[in-house]
Amino acid sequence: MNLLRLSWVFFKIGIAAYGGGWTIVGIIKTEILGRGWITEAGFSDLVAISQVTPGPVALNAATLVGYRLAGIPGAAAATLSVVAFPILSILAATSLLARLGKARGVLQEALKTGTIALVAMTLWTFLPAAVSSWTSGILAAGAFVLAAFTKTHPLFIILGAGGIGLVLSLLVP
Amino acid sequence: MDRTPNSPAPPSPGGIFWTFFRISAVTIGGGYAMVPVIGREVTAKGWLEEKEFYDLFALAQSFPGPIALNTALIVGRRTAGIAGFCLALAGILVPPFASVLVVALLLDGFGDLAPVRGFLGGAAAVIPGLVGALLWRMSKTRTWTVWRGVCTICAAAAIISFRPWAIPLFFASVLVALVGEARS
Repeated sequence: MNLLRLSWVFFKIGIAAYGGGWTIVGIIKTEILGRGWITEAGFSDLVAISQVTPGPVALNAATLVGYRLAGIPGAAAATLSVVAFPILSILAATSLLARLGKARGVLQEALKTGTIALVAMTLWTFLPAAVSSWTSGILAAGAFVLAAFTKTHPLFIILGAGGIGLVLSLLVP
Repeated sequence: MDRTPNSPAPPSPGGIFWTFFRISAVTIGGGYAMVPVIGREVTAKGWLEEKEFYDLFALAQSFPGPIALNTALIVGRRTAGIAGFCLALAGILVPPFASVLVVALLLDGFGDLAPVRGFLGGAAAVIPGLVGALLWRMSKTRTWTVWRGVCTICAAAAIISFRPWAIPLFFASVLVALVGEARS
């Protein structure tokens, strides 16, 4: 894996990384799977791990994908590249955007349009996994109900589902 | 009240690094779990007042990037200048990087064991549900107008249909939405 190409892809991902972890995961998925760098199942594993390790999910996912593709140098390159644009833009434009005042509300409203669309894309790309087996479907539906309608912390949902998967793998070898 | 609103109690450089390092090291569950913790810490330490912190958090959302990182960077810079910015960056980046690498190395060793596969399979299975729930909550809390609805549905349809173009299409839809918002 060419480190420069890897860095460029993650730099690009960083530019559009609005609206929190799941949009970024969606973009990483499209960019990396689209290039055939990682398999669907391999990527889902990495995202699951990102969720249960400390730190921002998007950063964890970038670090893990970088590591899978090019070892520790890849992990460092992906992590630094994905934060490069956010860091530079915050350095350059904080005072500018702070001065926008009320107009910033308009910008944020417009950004919501884009981020909801990106989350919809993320959902779309993960849906085939949800209908791939009865177990996956039931776990996904249960997670949706808990996360959408209760205040259950996502961490417990993920760990709970992981526990169910572990028990099932012991019962049904 | 002899505190000025902008810098109630300037933090030490070491204080900034360790505060963000600690929060990043122990908070699992991503940005929206980390931000309230950051808010509690910096207001408890008297670096910022609560309202000011949430103003900075709102500002952080105007930038791309992990929201916890952006918030930390802006807080670091506001309270301690460029040094604070760099220390916040290091504090947020190092713990996840190190812990993720440890987990990745462990998986290289034990990733093929059946119970580990089972755990990861179960944990990965909930992803569509969690993303669906996020979409549900984002949609429910937004104040919808006809324009916003049409714009969002078109943007989603375009991005889903032409996924390799997701990033340019994202910016195009934000631009269209921006023009519409500015006119209304």
